[in-house]
Amino acid sequence: MNILLSLNEATRAVNSGSNRINLLEDITLNVNEGEFISLMGPSGSGKSTLLNCIGMLDSFTDGGYTFLGQPVHSMKEKNRSKLYKDYIGFVFQAYHLIDELNVWENIETPLLYKNIKSSERKALVGDMLDRFNIVGKKDLFPRQLSGGQQQLVGIARALIGKPKLILADEPTGNLNSKQSREIMELFSQLNKEGVTIIQATHSEANAAYGSRIINLLDGKIVP
Amino acid sequence: MIKNYFKIAWRNIMKNKVFSLINIIGLTIGLSASFVIGLMIYYDYTFDNFHKDDDRIYRVVTDFTSPEGQFHNPGVTVALEDAIKENSNFEIINGFYTERPSKVENRESNLEFKWPKFVIYTNGEYFDIFKYNFLAGNMDNVLANPNEVILSENRAKDYFPNLKPSEIIGKTLVYNDSINTKVTGIVENFKERSDIVFEEFISHPTLLQTNTREFILDNNWNSTNSNSQLFVKVKQYANINQINDELKALADAHIDEDMKRYGQTRAFTLQPLRDIHFNEDYGVYDWERGMASKPLLRNLALVALFLLLLGCINFINLNTAQATQRAKEIGIRKTLGSSRKQLIWQFMGETFMLVVISALLSIGLTKWLINVFSDFVPADLEFKLIGTPLILIGIVILLVFVTFLSGFYPAVVLSKFNTVSVLKNHLGIGDKKVGLRKFLTVFQFTIAQIFIIGTLLVGRQINFLLNKDMGFQTEAIVSVFSPRAERALSKKELFAEKLTSIPQIKKISIGGMAPASYNTNTSSTTVNNGKTEVQSDLQFIFGDTEYLDLFELKLLAGRNFRNDTIRELVINETAQRIYGFDSPEKAIGALVDFGDEKVPVVGVMADFHQRSLKTDIKPMALVGDWYRPDFSRYQAIHVALQNLEGDDLKSALSKIESTYKSVYTEVDDYRIEFMDETIARFYDREKKVSKLLNWATGLSILISCLGLLGLVIYTTNRRVKEIGVRKVLGASILQINTLLCKEFLILVAIAFVIAAPIAWYGIYDWLQDFSYKEPISYWVFLLSGIAMIVFALIVISVKTLRAASVNPVNSLRSE
Repeated sequence: MNILLSLNEATRAVNSGSNRINLLEDITLNVNEGEFISLMGPSGSGKSTLLNCIGMLDSFTDGGYTFLGQPVHSMKEKNRSKLYKDYIGFVFQAYHLIDELNVWENIETPLLYKNIKSSERKALVGDMLDRFNIVGKKDLFPRQLSGGQQQLVGIARALIGKPKLILADEPTGNLNSKQSREIMELFSQLNKEGVTIIQATHSEANAAYGSRIINLLDGKIVP
Repeated sequence: MIKNYFKIAWRNIMKNKVFSLINIIGLTIGLSASFVIGLMIYYDYTFDNFHKDDDRIYRVVTDFTSPEGQFHNPGVTVALEDAIKENSNFEIINGFYTERPSKVENRESNLEFKWPKFVIYTNGEYFDIFKYNFLAGNMDNVLANPNEVILSENRAKDYFPNLKPSEIIGKTLVYNDSINTKVTGIVENFKERSDIVFEEFISHPTLLQTNTREFILDNNWNSTNSNSQLFVKVKQYANINQINDELKALADAHIDEDMKRYGQTRAFTLQPLRDIHFNEDYGVYDWERGMASKPLLRNLALVALFLLLLGCINFINLNTAQATQRAKEIGIRKTLGSSRKQLIWQFMGETFMLVVISALLSIGLTKWLINVFSDFVPADLEFKLIGTPLILIGIVILLVFVTFLSGFYPAVVLSKFNTVSVLKNHLGIGDKKVGLRKFLTVFQFTIAQIFIIGTLLVGRQINFLLNKDMGFQTEAIVSVFSPRAERALSKKELFAEKLTSIPQIKKISIGGMAPASYNTNTSSTTVNNGKTEVQSDLQFIFGDTEYLDLFELKLLAGRNFRNDTIRELVINETAQRIYGFDSPEKAIGALVDFGDEKVPVVGVMADFHQRSLKTDIKPMALVGDWYRPDFSRYQAIHVALQNLEGDDLKSALSKIESTYKSVYTEVDDYRIEFMDETIARFYDREKKVSKLLNWATGLSILISCLGLLGLVIYTTNRRVKEIGVRKVLGASILQINTLLCKEFLILVAIAFVIAAPIAWYGIYDWLQDFSYKEPISYWVFLLSGIAMIVFALIVISVKTLRAASVNPVNSLRSE
């Protein structure tokens, strides 16, 4: 098994007034390619912060972070952005689709930032729509879709760049149980196809889809 | 990618229709003003830029100074041309003489033309300086002999209709009944814009056959005639300073003893060819077309710049205010891999799109505006000038500039959003920029406020000028001018006699110009008042014994002169004072020495304004027609009408015209002036300023209020919840409205405090041009401040009242 990423005593601290608060403290973690990890813990335990830091939207203030053998903590912004553009996809609880773009365009957007040619983009987006069975909805705008459908589009958008790692922050938090199940089964399917997934969740049932569970409490990994 | 950007830009524009509209209106107004004014500047600055070596061509003009001030003459003394002939700094020297012949005949075809314009007497050097395209005729040895003429293509078409240029060569034209000239060439009119507008070029020696002969032969250093023009083309790398020194030396060497005695000087100056279009001191050849004024163009450019700035400020204000709405999109794009630079470009692209939409609208508007501003825009400035490559490049540069000015800051602000906090809905950034938005709003309202105060004060001054008592009767008086060539008095008397039969006419007087006019006639005089000898210039108005009565000039002492030809003076109060007499009575009987004769003062009349109120009242005398029968100063019949209106007035005027036609049967040169219109014309320029200010004020208020409306809508929408809570706690609609209005009204008030002194200084400066002025009163400031606040309040209330009256249940439920 190849190691996808590893954290070595990674810490994320913020200043609140004169106090320094550690949102994450001494996190040490190795993630292998092909794993499906569920992060669990109560609200405020640092699940989202850990996902954001792994996803390079945010950064650790201390400790080491290596992604595919490259030291992220000492990387320039430009290289880091190239790294996550190429290897990481995000799925959000609130879907975060762009309201002004329709389904087709939303899925296409990451490809624009990777400078992929128009014809190739068309083919890739078309495949993705097929695969998720949402060809008929490609011209609709996000507000015209149900929550489950929006999350489906969100996942399709996360996958379009062929990422090695999907980071999902409570992907089913806004969905009902049937929709939740469908989304989780989709993740499980993707994982079997080789995509590494890290999800943050409150739900035991959802966590059970993963191959490993990591519990967080007050910014620390608890056994 | 670009397509994706434009798509989202378009959808955003459509989604926020109100904001987009405000942005587009603001930018469109600014751009339209810039286009129109840019066209004008281009038009005026491209006059005479096509001549070969145009930077080496100069007109020699004369500047006089005297203790009374400076005088400028576009001509030079005839003697100067010979004096500089040997000067090696000049490559070509060409003197020409402008004169309108009274008549030209093509006897072969029995065609006759009166007073042709733009006729000059010149020689071949003229065509060496200004390169014309010869359509026919020999280019060598042009105009070398007397009695030769070259015509422009247009003129040739008039004189010899249906003939080809080559067929016209050799034909004869007869000037002033007796001067036979042969056509030796036809030249193409300049296609480009030019102030060198001449159409007929008669060989210079021919001038000796006209009544100007004496003047030309006299070759006198002391007389300067504006008709006598001198152009030079200096050698390449010639030292202009050295030439000016040499000209100065020539002027000094030939100075008149009298000029020296009275402290006067004369200087010859090189006026660059391109300066002719702008310099009102010396004028142009085609007065009807008018000139360009650099200060006016500068002020117009400033107005355009301000309007454009206001539009850009609206854009910046509204876009930063709206930033939070875009925040989510920005956050998502960042997680999807967009770099900050890409986001900046995206927003700049959106801005550019709005700017281009505005520009397209502006181009349409420009066509219309050229008509609306016909007072400012030169008559032959055509809309299609906008297709000139230089103008098109200018427009593109302007659009890019405006895009950067209005788009860059919002783009930087928007792209700076922190992804994580955006996606968590922790947004504080919109509020951090409130300071800047307030500053920009204050700036906008300061400009609008300055315009309001300026408009009110300029309007007041113009009203004051138009309504101020001129000191004589200006209502219901018309002046009918005799034909220009008609010198004899008998016809004027006959005309006046016939007019007496029209019942609507109250009084008739034969005389020179009306008491207030642009024409002046001045002599230098000395008076011994018993204590000292006083020297002063004295202006004249000429009239018969009825003149005083007709214009209701008040006689303060003494009497009117006894008849038209007796040498007696009625001076005004200013003259009486300057001559050193304490009271009007004491001046009676004083002798005014004109150098060759002494004339007694028989009456003193009250002062009246001889010109616009920009100038002081000068010493003046009303005199008769002293030089009869050699020469008559009378050129008009002044008629006082009964107070008439509408059709009565029309019928009276048509009777006057038909009477005129019955007296002057041969010529068709009916010219009539209404006294009140003449006075109004004194203030044409001020009225233009006023019109411009009105527009600038209206537009700046509009743009600023739109911007304010946008900000109010935004702020109020953000405070919906607060309003709801306050209402639940028992606040009334009025209290909430006050709360919402307060922060904006404070901005308007600050703008007033900044604007008032700036406006005061500007108006104070402008008023220095006037000898008589309305004092700047404080209530005008107060009024305009209140007006601005009322405007703002209306705009603000449109939104806040609605927000305040919303049922709190609705606004709180949505949370």
